[in-house]
Amino acid sequence: MSHSARAAIEEPRLSTRQVRRRRAPRHVVVALPIALAGLIALLISGNTLRPFERIITLEARMASKSDFFKDPEVRRLLLGHGIRVDIRRLGSRGIATQSLTGTDVVFPSGQPAAKIILDRQDHSVRSVRPFVTPLVLGTFRDYADTLVKAKVATPQRAPGGGPTLYYDLDMPAFMGLLDGTHAGRGAADQDGDGRTEGADTWNGIGFDSRGRSNSGRVLVRTSNVCESNAAGTYLSLLAFVVNRNTTPGTENVNDPRLAQEAVTDLAARIKPLISLQGMWADEQADSYLSDLGESIAPVSLIYEHQYLSHQIAHHDRTGEQDTDRVLLYPTPYALTEPQLISLTDRGDRLVRLIQEDEELRDRAIELGFRVRFSGEDGTSERLNAYLGDHGIQVPAANPDQTKSYEPGLEVLERIIDYVGTCPPPVQDTP
Amino acid sequence: MRRPAAALGAGLVLALLATLTSACTQDGGEHITLRVLASPELADVEPLLGELEEDTGVELKLEYTATAELEGQPPAAGRKSAHALAWLASDRSFLLRLQDSAGGLVRPESTSIMRSPVVVGLTPGAARDLRGRAPGGRISWADLADAAADGTVRFGMADPRRSDTGRAALVGVATAAAGTGSALREEDVSCDRLRGFRSGQTLTAPGSRELTDAYAERPEAADALIAHEAELLSLNASGRLREPLEIVHPDDGMVLSDFPLLLLDPGEREAYGKVVDWLQSADTQRELMRRTHRRPVSQDVEPTAELRTSVGNALSFPDRLSIVRRLVDDYGDPVHTTGDQVVFLLDFSTSMRGERIAALRAAFAGLSGADRTSTGKFARFYRGERLTVVRFGGSVLQERTVTVRSDADLKSLDRIVAGGGFDDATALWSALDRGYRIATDAVRAAPERPVAIVLMTDGENNTGLSYAEFLRRHGRLGSAADAVPTFTVQFGEADAGALKRAAAATGGRMVDAGLSSLTDAFKEIRGCH
Repeated sequence: MSHSARAAIEEPRLSTRQVRRRRAPRHVVVALPIALAGLIALLISGNTLRPFERIITLEARMASKSDFFKDPEVRRLLLGHGIRVDIRRLGSRGIATQSLTGTDVVFPSGQPAAKIILDRQDHSVRSVRPFVTPLVLGTFRDYADTLVKAKVATPQRAPGGGPTLYYDLDMPAFMGLLDGTHAGRGAADQDGDGRTEGADTWNGIGFDSRGRSNSGRVLVRTSNVCESNAAGTYLSLLAFVVNRNTTPGTENVNDPRLAQEAVTDLAARIKPLISLQGMWADEQADSYLSDLGESIAPVSLIYEHQYLSHQIAHHDRTGEQDTDRVLLYPTPYALTEPQLISLTDRGDRLVRLIQEDEELRDRAIELGFRVRFSGEDGTSERLNAYLGDHGIQVPAANPDQTKSYEPGLEVLERIIDYVGTCPPPVQDTP
Repeated sequence: MRRPAAALGAGLVLALLATLTSACTQDGGEHITLRVLASPELADVEPLLGELEEDTGVELKLEYTATAELEGQPPAAGRKSAHALAWLASDRSFLLRLQDSAGGLVRPESTSIMRSPVVVGLTPGAARDLRGRAPGGRISWADLADAAADGTVRFGMADPRRSDTGRAALVGVATAAAGTGSALREEDVSCDRLRGFRSGQTLTAPGSRELTDAYAERPEAADALIAHEAELLSLNASGRLREPLEIVHPDDGMVLSDFPLLLLDPGEREAYGKVVDWLQSADTQRELMRRTHRRPVSQDVEPTAELRTSVGNALSFPDRLSIVRRLVDDYGDPVHTTGDQVVFLLDFSTSMRGERIAALRAAFAGLSGADRTSTGKFARFYRGERLTVVRFGGSVLQERTVTVRSDADLKSLDRIVAGGGFDDATALWSALDRGYRIATDAVRAAPERPVAIVLMTDGENNTGLSYAEFLRRHGRLGSAADAVPTFTVQFGEADAGALKRAAAATGGRMVDAGLSSLTDAFKEIRGCH
């Protein structure tokens, strides 16, 4: 891996270790007067020696976890440590399958993409998993209440009896609505109003009884399964449920052919749950949290931190919670674990900082992440306390603690490829 | 080992030059000009670009030549794009094309800047009329298609082959026509359900700007315009219309455009970041909203009163480009629309008496406009369509062809189906032979008009030509007959095997009315040729 010349200047450490310096080449000699002129100019303009304060700019690629690095407070803290992070935003699996040349750090939103990236490195690299966040479905109150009426969701009790922000979602029952059929039939009169509806449309399960109308099918909008960690994790969750709460690929381990067929069969069964939505849409949280969110999609696949961060900001701004937007917590649940991976020596500095700096970790809580602190068992206590202190309802731990485990990388990749017909990954030329 | 040294030296020079310039200018950036491949819809942002340049040092040169699929982008590996950025009404078709490239093309970064739904603007008269016939007064695309088919509403829409707005409109209308509640699939576009809708199009243009201009000049040419909400609001605000158009967000949903800015040249990421930040800042978003009537993406901007109305439900876009292209191809040239011709061969043997004939009459009445379901409004007979009804038993009992101009024409057809006696025998293949003579005459008379045959029977052939004899005669009809598929409708005790064979031999297919109803069977094959 070759470092740019800029890196060598800003990081003298590098040039001493890599025996590069022989004698000043002609370019440098020519440049010296200009350098002196520059120095004088800087001294005069008052920007004294700023370029020599060793502020390094890291080239980073990340998906939704760029929310953390784009936060003004996080940027301020990092600058205090001499680090600026330049972010190219793209999906986690997109990061993992494209060339990483010229990149210092990557921050995939979950373990599958992180594993692909780590597998691609020919030497061990520094990395840190600073926090976790569950995969959730963002929706709106009328839709959530329609799901309650359809007996697939249960509201969590809000303290003080106000409107709740959170609902527990019975995933197997919910998937019965998503599959495009009703008890095996393509059409049925589902809400008993004498009209035949297309299978499991919102109106079909009673949305239109509230004076509103949506003839669209009950669907979850996701980002591209070929590129996004959220969509991939969602596929894992669907596969786990269809496989009767068993991690796919863990059966028939002694018969590869049987095992492979089982995975293909599973992928074929969950494919319609994704493909019925038509074209994917990027930046689910952005559209969900936008003014037109409810028009764009009744149910969006997002991460819990994106929702909580919105609620905290909303409460700070208006003094109350956003009670229109509510969350569905699926059972079984899926937890995602972002991993900050350094690919260069410069990137190592950032990883070390995230590992050690308490201020940055505290800020992560304020952005809705469930942060790991050494000496603590769980990851939720401090977040819950923070939410409580800031007037936000604390999500209850689901009484059914069935956790959906991601299948092995190979199995997951096969499911993703089957559902999304994804392009082959790009290999870095060494 | 010379290279690192050279690079080190050059880098040092550059770094120091950079610090020099940064010491000289206020914002730390140098002036830069970027070429932008833009959708014509975005010409209205031009007046803001001067401010962008002042604030960020980035000058955007918009060239309004972007196509819906952004042909030629991104350039092949190793080549640089002539344009640093693209600014589109929507990048959906482009992304679907990249998906089809199977990884051969890497997708550029893309950021939504504004949003606007593709909706319909109606004259107050047309709005009143449509509201009157819509259930609960909530106007849908289906109501518009219904009114277009019966001639009460004439609309204008940009050419979907050239304009992304026209394309989005087409996807929206077709999704409503399929009525599945989800995105269009291949099977949903295998038949053209938009012929009735299209029969009402009286105004078109290469783009939505030209469309609104054409309408402002000749408002008598149409009662409705399909375009972005923003374009319709701008037209209303321009003061060019005597009475403003009433903007309707159809009840069965709309396609939402998000006007993304794309980075085509990854080398310009820094400038791209500056432009995006500036465009998404609250001040710019407010100004964009005020000038262009598009909805802001920023959550910090309070929408103006006219943009506070709900946009309705967004329709999902298809996940394959082939589906979109099929729609565009089938829609064809909006300037030269031709109604097609359908020859109905209807079995009037005695077994059809009673409930069956009642079902047939209901099916015809439904297609004549009585079917008020959403799919019925799209499938109905329409102005300009030529319809031939042949009643047969052991021989042809009655034959009548009309070109639909008014409800009276449809009523006269309904009377043929409703009245008339029955016959003891069923000469199925003789009837089909007769149908092909009518059809080939029609093809020769007007080759541009698509012709199809619908053969409905509830029994087996028991007189007249044999199937083999029919095929021999059909073969002798030549190319004119090859263009005419036959769709067979199996009803009652009809011989499914024979009907399937005849349909397959002519490029059509069989539908089983026993599975649903005669009405649904007729609807299913509308536009399938």
